[in-house]
Amino acid sequence: MAMTPARYDAIVIGGGINGLTCAAMLGKAGLRTLLLERRDAVGGCAAEHELAPGFRVPTLAHRTGPLRADVVNDLRLADHGLSFVTRPVRVTALAPDGRALALFSDATAAVGAIRPWSRHDAGAWPAFAQSLGRVADVVGTLFTRTPPDVDDPGAHDLWTAMRTAGAFRRLPKDDAWRLLRWGPMAVADLVSEVFETELLRAAVAADGLLGGMMGPWSAGSGLQLLLHEANHSVAALRDAEVEGGPIAVSRSLEAAARRHGVAIRTHAEVAQVIVRGDRAVGVTLTSGETIESRAVVSGLDPKRTFLSLCDAEHLPPEFLWRIRRVRTRGTLAKVNLALSALPAFGEATRQMLAGPVRIAPTLDYLERAFDHAKYGEWSREPWIELTIPSIVDASLAPAGAHVLSAYVQWVPNSVGSRESGVGSRKPGGEPPSGGDVPSEASRRATASETDGIFDTVLATLERYAPGLRGLVVASQCITPADMEGEWGLSGGHIFHGELALDQMLMMRPLLGFGHYRSPVDGLFLCGSGTHPGTGLTGGSGANAAHVIAEALR
Amino acid sequence: MKYDAIVIGGGHNGLTCAAYLARAGRRVLVLERRHVLGGAAVTEEIFPGFKFSVCSYVVSLLRPEIIRDLDLPRHGMELLPLDGTFTPMPNGDYLWRVNDHEKTRREIARHSRLDAEAYDEYGRAMVEMGRFAKPILAMTPPDPTKLDPRGLLDLLSVGKRFRGMRPHDRINQVQLLTMSAVDFLDQWFETDVLKATMSASGIIGTFLGVKSPGTAYVLLHHYMGEIDGSFRSWGLSRGGTGAVSNAIGDAARRFGAEIRTNTPVARILTKNGRATGVALENGDEFHADTVVSSVDPRHTFLRWMDEKELPPDFVEGVRRYKFRGSSGKVNLALDGLPNFTCLPGTGSHLRGAISISPSVDYMERAYDDAKYGRFSRRPYIDIVIPSLTDTSVAPPGKHVMSCFVQYAPYELRRESEETRRDGEETRREREEARREPGEHEWDRQREAFGDTVIDTIAEHAPNIRDLILHRQVLTPLDIERDFGLSEGNIFQGELTLEQLFFLRPVPGWAQYTTPVRGLYMCGSATHPGGGIMGAPGKNAAERILKG
Repeated sequence: MAMTPARYDAIVIGGGINGLTCAAMLGKAGLRTLLLERRDAVGGCAAEHELAPGFRVPTLAHRTGPLRADVVNDLRLADHGLSFVTRPVRVTALAPDGRALALFSDATAAVGAIRPWSRHDAGAWPAFAQSLGRVADVVGTLFTRTPPDVDDPGAHDLWTAMRTAGAFRRLPKDDAWRLLRWGPMAVADLVSEVFETELLRAAVAADGLLGGMMGPWSAGSGLQLLLHEANHSVAALRDAEVEGGPIAVSRSLEAAARRHGVAIRTHAEVAQVIVRGDRAVGVTLTSGETIESRAVVSGLDPKRTFLSLCDAEHLPPEFLWRIRRVRTRGTLAKVNLALSALPAFGEATRQMLAGPVRIAPTLDYLERAFDHAKYGEWSREPWIELTIPSIVDASLAPAGAHVLSAYVQWVPNSVGSRESGVGSRKPGGEPPSGGDVPSEASRRATASETDGIFDTVLATLERYAPGLRGLVVASQCITPADMEGEWGLSGGHIFHGELALDQMLMMRPLLGFGHYRSPVDGLFLCGSGTHPGTGLTGGSGANAAHVIAEALR
Repeated sequence: MKYDAIVIGGGHNGLTCAAYLARAGRRVLVLERRHVLGGAAVTEEIFPGFKFSVCSYVVSLLRPEIIRDLDLPRHGMELLPLDGTFTPMPNGDYLWRVNDHEKTRREIARHSRLDAEAYDEYGRAMVEMGRFAKPILAMTPPDPTKLDPRGLLDLLSVGKRFRGMRPHDRINQVQLLTMSAVDFLDQWFETDVLKATMSASGIIGTFLGVKSPGTAYVLLHHYMGEIDGSFRSWGLSRGGTGAVSNAIGDAARRFGAEIRTNTPVARILTKNGRATGVALENGDEFHADTVVSSVDPRHTFLRWMDEKELPPDFVEGVRRYKFRGSSGKVNLALDGLPNFTCLPGTGSHLRGAISISPSVDYMERAYDDAKYGRFSRRPYIDIVIPSLTDTSVAPPGKHVMSCFVQYAPYELRRESEETRRDGEETRREREEARREPGEHEWDRQREAFGDTVIDTIAEHAPNIRDLILHRQVLTPLDIERDFGLSEGNIFQGELTLEQLFFLRPVPGWAQYTTPVRGLYMCGSATHPGGGIMGAPGKNAAERILKG
């Protein structure tokens, strides 16, 4: 077995946004850091590829989380090519009759756009937006720190708790109650209390429904909306989009990491974390190469980290039992299209189509789309969030042509398999044998199923943009099973685990392990499966870097 | 005549509150709209010779300290065991759990060995959870936005006990508050029918499905009764659930309370922001410095008071409080006993609860129907035949059968040509349709609902049709009209996280008090919520006596 002479302070596994962020911050802290990426380029879900000659599409993610302020500032990403464009329209919702409702970032413009639909809702919008912002700011105070430890609270935990309590107490009383009520509510109830226009209700509610196994009538989906909004409250710039899309984020993070001395190796797949005397001391690659380090940091999801990369003998059986039960039911599919021209979506203007566009006309439409997923079927009328990035960046497609990217929900990873549960083994029972890997889905969609999903998506798009089908030059449909297989996301879950009430804060990924550490000394987590883990914000990676740098000091 | 306190509503919580107030020496008057006491815990002879627990039909949660303090057995309350739960399955098999632990273990092992083991673990875990939750039932919820020292201490004590739990139990506790019943049970069990039947207790009285987050909590709500040792299971009350109410009423009278039936209240009287008494529908007035309403907040504040007497944000909170009745009841007078295909005969499986909950997907599909405004084509049904245990409720050889049915949404979609063609009608349109005056859709669909229930039972016990002598169908609308429960919600408001503890019924007003001095709430719409528990009535009385 070859042994490289280089010794690192930290090895980061996986070059996704959080892995890159964490590695760059560790490098900045003066730690000798090596980042290992299995694929041919870093970026993870924030990638881009050429779908057809001259057509470049965002492979998976078509927008970022948004990127957190401390990540942008601490790593001086602006110096590494990152720039922002403010987007005038936060989201555009399409109605089946061809009309479109644009929610402008500017409050006055938004009120003007809502008024034709409902005077009442136009009146309610500014107060709602402000209230949501204030409430989200309190939630956001929890994002930039390690979540408090309930078992053994230290000074840091008390400080976090007090900071959040302070922000909570400073809220106007109405908003304080809203924060307590909204979190556990169904997002459908939340928006219905405020608005009467179904299109508007659905457009706002959908913010809280991306990526998870929750419909608008699922209790706790209100919290998703707060989390989504809280991302914005700790973002570098509110209502701003990274110029060049998610790939630009990967590129600037990669540049920042290199600048801080991080060694980056692609085509380097980790086979196992080496544990010696209860400590992680390095990794073995699939090539057989062994690399030693003082700490190992996994940017992969918790299931993959502990169930695939670790030998079960180093982990307590109960810990493994609980990791197996982290819910990672992926429900998002992705469709990329190369189009010969810009499709016409009813009355939606070019400006409206420049931002995210939603096809989800009513709350019941959303819920019906979700119903199928509960029985392991893909939705026959999915809700779709699409972007046409070539409107803003003409270089993505040949002159006059466009690329369209669509998030499609709900397409459960378990399509075809009728399994609802994850098997059974009681807590504290016999630890499962090594081969018993969780099988929430794990059955790849067949080619005909993928075709069926794709046809459904195209038929849905065609209803809102008649003639779109005829513009398709090239296409691609990525199912959650593909995300699991090719991107290594357990269950195909884009957030590395559902953002449910019992899987967040100090419970992400598990209660007692919400601080980026693991039962093995020197083995850390920094991926989306840790707090706050709300998408491509770099938040988990940055938080983890603080903990790891402290531990290695 | 001037009283110290007037209690509106003679349901079990109103009576409990009155009894405690009278026991402390207050002159108390209870006013009940109907001719019988009990509210939804009532026994009525609907058909000659057949006595029904018309609404609420099983007893388990009633706080032991209330039974003790009010000496209820001496006033005629007697609880009879309701042994086991029998679930028939369409494949000819069944699941039959009984109080005899070993027997149940063997029965579950027949379906899955692993599950038989897990069943013990699960039971132990739930008892721990119940132990944690129990003191919270007796607590007046603190106000987290104010946090006076007392409230802070209460919250700290909860936090401290939470930290004192074993790590495992702590995780369970958090999951219980946030997960869906099915996800929660998935962690223990693999047998579908077992999970389906157990998850059923998570959805009773709520407009949520077994896969909806938040339903695991209601599992606990239904386990809490099992932890008091004296009576480790659900039971029936001899003479029907009305006998429990009557016993509490008798106890209240013995302490000097005056109780009037057939006395509907029309208004709550106030002067300078203080409650001064009530006016009846017949114009009579009664005066007291303390008025306690055991009726739900919609009636109390939006019907019996003028909005102008209340702060606007409070009124808004009351309006937002969700009822969403989701269940109905079918009461049958039978000429004999049903014969289940999967387990023929009249064995003791008929003496417990009979649960029509054959699979998790069956339960979830029943919910899907309701979400879009239909009663379930194949509903979840919880059946008991009290006459097998208590012969006083039916003529010899005859039986009463109580069928609790879910889902039956209060907001029912119109079944007309037009909607059948369009297919879609949003919840909003249904809400609006309801505001139109005139006939309610349930009046048109009541019998079809009853037929569906019978058809569903007949799939498992085909002889049921031939046995029916009389049938009473209660829709959520009927429950609202007859028993004064808004939108037919059996818990006076949904038991969902955003309506529990310090959020029940209105944020900032979870301490049995109201913005009107001297006016209190003591019904199931207050902490800790519904079921024949009595805790809201007792907690409220304590709050009132504190002044």
